Amino acid sequence: MKLLKIGISGVRGIVGDSMTPKLVMDFAAAFGTYVDSKPVLVGRDTRISSPMLHAACLASLLSTGCDVLDLGLCPTPILQYQVRKSKAKGGISITAGHNDIKWNALAFINRDGTYLNPFQGAEVLDIYHLGKFKKVPTDGLGRVRDTEHYADEYFEGLRAFLDAEAIRKAKLKVVIDACNGAGANFLEPMACALGFELIPVNNEPNGFFPHDPEPRPRNAQQVVSIMKAVGADIGFLLNSDVSRISVVTETDESLSEEFTFPLVADEYLKDRCGPVVTNFSTSRMIEDVARSRGCPLVRTKVGQSYAVHSLLQEEAVLAGEGSGGVAFAAFQPAFDGFLTMGFILETMARQGKTISRLVGELPRYHIVKEKIYCPPARVHSIVSEVKKFFRRHEVDTSDGIRVEDKSGWVQVRASGTEPMIRIIAEDQLKNKARERADEVINFINVLIQ
Amino acid sequence: MKKRSTLKISISGVRGIIGDSLTPQLAAAFAQAFGTYIGGGPIIVGQDARPSGTMIKQAIISGLLASGCQPVDVGICPIPSFLFLTKESKASGGISVTASHNPREWNGLKFISRDGLYLTPHQTEEFLDIYHQGEFSFAEAERYKTLKTESQPAEPHLRKLLGYFDVDLIRRRKFKVAIDCGNGAGAILAPRLLEGLGCEAVFIHAIPDGSFAHQPEPLPENIREICRTVVKNKADIGFVQDADADRLAIVNNKGEPIGEELTLALAAQYVLGKKKGSVVCNLSTTRAIDDIAAARKATVFRTKIGEIHVVEKVLSAEPEAAIAGEGNGGVILPDVHPCRDSFAAMGLTLEYLASSGSSISTLQKRIPKYFMIKDKIEGSAEQAYRLISLLRKKVEGQGKVNLLDGMKVDFPDHWIHVRPSNTEPVIRVIAEAKTEEKAKAVIRRLKKVIADYLKKI
Repeated sequence: MKLLKIGISGVRGIVGDSMTPKLVMDFAAAFGTYVDSKPVLVGRDTRISSPMLHAACLASLLSTGCDVLDLGLCPTPILQYQVRKSKAKGGISITAGHNDIKWNALAFINRDGTYLNPFQGAEVLDIYHLGKFKKVPTDGLGRVRDTEHYADEYFEGLRAFLDAEAIRKAKLKVVIDACNGAGANFLEPMACALGFELIPVNNEPNGFFPHDPEPRPRNAQQVVSIMKAVGADIGFLLNSDVSRISVVTETDESLSEEFTFPLVADEYLKDRCGPVVTNFSTSRMIEDVARSRGCPLVRTKVGQSYAVHSLLQEEAVLAGEGSGGVAFAAFQPAFDGFLTMGFILETMARQGKTISRLVGELPRYHIVKEKIYCPPARVHSIVSEVKKFFRRHEVDTSDGIRVEDKSGWVQVRASGTEPMIRIIAEDQLKNKARERADEVINFINVLIQ
Repeated sequence: MKKRSTLKISISGVRGIIGDSLTPQLAAAFAQAFGTYIGGGPIIVGQDARPSGTMIKQAIISGLLASGCQPVDVGICPIPSFLFLTKESKASGGISVTASHNPREWNGLKFISRDGLYLTPHQTEEFLDIYHQGEFSFAEAERYKTLKTESQPAEPHLRKLLGYFDVDLIRRRKFKVAIDCGNGAGAILAPRLLEGLGCEAVFIHAIPDGSFAHQPEPLPENIREICRTVVKNKADIGFVQDADADRLAIVNNKGEPIGEELTLALAAQYVLGKKKGSVVCNLSTTRAIDDIAAARKATVFRTKIGEIHVVEKVLSAEPEAAIAGEGNGGVILPDVHPCRDSFAAMGLTLEYLASSGSSISTLQKRIPKYFMIKDKIEGSAEQAYRLISLLRKKVEGQGKVNLLDGMKVDFPDHWIHVRPSNTEPVIRVIAEAKTEEKAKAVIRRLKKVIADYLKKI
């Protein structure tokens, strides 16, 4: 069976299986047709399959008459920033984010530098399914333009947005694990722009992932092992396109990726109150933080596309997910790992507090995240059958199945990226969270068999 | 009338029209089929100077990577240098993005084996079977190869050429050469070769941007500008390369095109004078070759049209071929490599000039005089086939009929050749006679007969 996920803002699949040159070309041609032959930016992460997708995108975009600004190796948030700066009509980022090396994906970016919204995504998908791609004759073909210094512009913007002076003065020692992903070429310029001492880990842009490129505690061993030895103030883990990060404290605690967003929000909302967007799978921490700052919280479906479009629609100030992605509306409507790291450093610098202390000020919950493999054709029907398990509860079906009570909640939903059912449970008590998850998992296992 | 097909898949590779039949998806599928056929390893990928080259090349790179091969992107590269590099670098094969002499809205793919030769008809058949079956190899992500680039792809070829020719002899003459690269790939190597041969060169259209200042075929009507350049600069000779630099047309020191048939004739005249061996050329090449070979008691082998057929014969000819090529200006110098090479043709011509001490207009006069007319009529291969069976009945008994490729009929003082093109949906009609009047009369009569037949078909 082939694994392929077509989402609202892109397509994701296993290389050599569903992710073929033809598929990539058809999607890129659909996107080129959608943007009507206007300039498009293309960037990619370091995955060893990415040059295949990159060449296929170039060929297709050129064939539809789009000029291509080729950023080559480029983290998604920098590409998104440049789409707006260069006044292009859109962009394609080639990256499977946190997925392992077998996967790759195209993420489509609109002219505002955000993921396509559901309406735009539907339009591209319609063109794809119709298969009627724009074909221009020789003289109308697009041209490839290489661009230099595009990252300088981005880091200049980042420096201006943050209190770089405070960060510089704090003389922070920062360990960052780029997982040999797209971030690898960009950590030094970032350290330079913000003025911290960088201790890079897995900083070769060669695409060989020493661990899954997912920023979460189980991938943090390397960072944890050197924190004390180098006397670092904080450590960060990145996914392969620097849209998501997680934090390791100076006391060697590898924080759940759930902490990233509340950590940022707790400080950011102090003087910039406004609506906050998150998804239904994210920890209650952000609810407590938003409430304490007097900011309304809006919940959306899981996925950067939903979060960011809700951010724009609700004129919110922040959007973020429990997976470690945070978007600052005032900077750009995109999950931006560089800015997220930078803002956490600024917070430490301005408050003069260690990261463990800042984390200690946050409410603590216990969250359990599990996933069960499920045949793709049955994923949604099984998720909706879980309703039967909660016959006596009030069920929220905005994104899968979600049941909440005073002390915690549990959510069951179809993965947006893999043929999996995800089960997320949270509670003030660790064993209660585990219990919430396990009872649903048992029920689902029976259903699948 | 049936819509003309704009996609040609033949022994010459794949050709199509950009924005119509030749899509990136198609190019990638062919590249993947080729990668599957070759079974991995480095594959050289190059392009001529056509503006659509980059688009198609990217599609090919994608297809090759997906099949687990390692593409080596050499950018714009003359085809003879490309073939030479493929063999020299021990690559597993090559794909060149070129539509040779087709108009600029066309582009195409040519497939090259590890020997640095175009796929033979048998290899092409095997490869096309894979394409048509559609079952390509897909490498797993972990096994992907990295894309490589090569910025000096013509160097090995240049070294070979400079090693082959009598460079000192040529340098002593300090030739003044005017050259038109037609904004094609030839511009990558021509300046370096001429410099190496001690020539003072005047270039026109030497930026390889594919703007094709004139039609890419080096026919006399396309080369007025180089003729003027020769006169103005008092050059010893003028050269015109086609878009992918495998063919060469020559302009004499008086600024007159000598006719593209004479490129090979001059080369044959010179090479057979210093080396024993046979001549290989195709059916449509001038009869002057037979006369030149006869004077040296050399055998002439005639083949089907298409470079690969000439090349195959070169590889198997007994006695060994000393010189080979086609009447379209494509000269093959087997001692350098068995493929058409405008640079080898330039070197041979200059060496001939240097060793003879004569001017090109004098050398030209020593070639037996014929007059050839090449024409074409719109028509499909199917129409050509039916046309030929009708024509054959008409000429039966009047001349010597050869059905190796279309139909060639030799008469004592002239010959005609009618065949479907391998690269475009046209029927080619060629006639050659001792005088211009005779050739014109023959072609006029032939075209009228064909037009009448085509109405009936």
